[in-house]
Amino acid sequence: MSKEAIHIGSQVKRGSAELAILSVLAEGPLHGYQIAKIIERQTQGLLRFNLASLYPLLYRMEKRGWVKGTWEGEAAGRRRRYYHLAAAGRRRLVPLRAEWGQLFQALNRLAGVTHA
Amino acid sequence: MPDWRGIARRRLAPLALEAKRKEEIIDELSGHLEDLYSDLLRHGKSEAEAAQSAWSTVADWDELRDAIQLAANEEAVMDYHLGPAGERRLKTLWLPGVCTGLLAGVLLRLLQLPSAPAPNVSWLRPSTPLIIYWQWYLCLPLVGAMGAYWSRRAGGTLLERASAASFPALQLICYPGILLPFVMVFDLIFHHSAPLVVAAFFLLVWIVVPEAALLLGALPFLKGEAMKPRRAAA
Repeated sequence: MSKEAIHIGSQVKRGSAELAILSVLAEGPLHGYQIAKIIERQTQGLLRFNLASLYPLLYRMEKRGWVKGTWEGEAAGRRRRYYHLAAAGRRRLVPLRAEWGQLFQALNRLAGVTHA
Repeated sequence: MPDWRGIARRRLAPLALEAKRKEEIIDELSGHLEDLYSDLLRHGKSEAEAAQSAWSTVADWDELRDAIQLAANEEAVMDYHLGPAGERRLKTLWLPGVCTGLLAGVLLRLLQLPSAPAPNVSWLRPSTPLIIYWQWYLCLPLVGAMGAYWSRRAGGTLLERASAASFPALQLICYPGILLPFVMVFDLIFHHSAPLVVAAFFLLVWIVVPEAALLLGALPFLKGEAMKPRRAAA
């Protein structure tokens, strides 16, 4: 694992949101509302996405080819856009997890912060 | 139930996107608000409370619209991650191969300078000279050795080591494929001679002999196990 420096700033905030979304999509395709609910449930309410924070990020990640959105359920009435983790997103997830692991280790050494 | 679709359409109207994409975003965002509203009702909120809570998730619609616009305008970024196999091949084949090819090319250019020793020139026919750079052939074993050593040091397989060493000759294989058919057609039309002899000499002088020289130099590094890459060994 490389030991590159992690620059703390807005990138960290965005990086944590990207990691959360990619991680839940690694389990299977979900629509936007499900993504927000699952992240909230799995983090016991510590991480919350609302409409304003979730969709611009999803659209950006889709532009980058990390996720792919497809419309489903049109025949049944209301259609929903399901997001699938793309191959590029799966590749992105690996270093992202490693970087966040390093960050938590660094914070742990610095301030006794532990993560589950 | 509030008309979430109508609300989203009004608030996102200034989005500068193609109509279909804009409708998709309106559908998606209004669907999200609808899901949230239904969820809140299920959890015992009144219709007014649920509508108010759902509505309050977007503090600033202008800001949301700008964020969506910004995301939509972002250029698609190519993901250049190669993956572990690709990264390995980059180090064991492509980097040593390209450098070997470049070095062989530079050496040939140096030998073509006016101050360089004259090459051996013989004439296949009055219009077709055959130029043989003997000095270049003498340098090629060293070039091949460098490519194979580099590849082996990076953990290259036997085939990767041989390919990295052979890159200069492999590059030249493209020429017969692309140029020679044209040369042959012109030759047939204008000289009525046998161009296959020219093709055979071209293959011999620019591919077979250089390839043999490169592999000769690479030979000591084709034997034995691949070395472990330095980072893995550390």
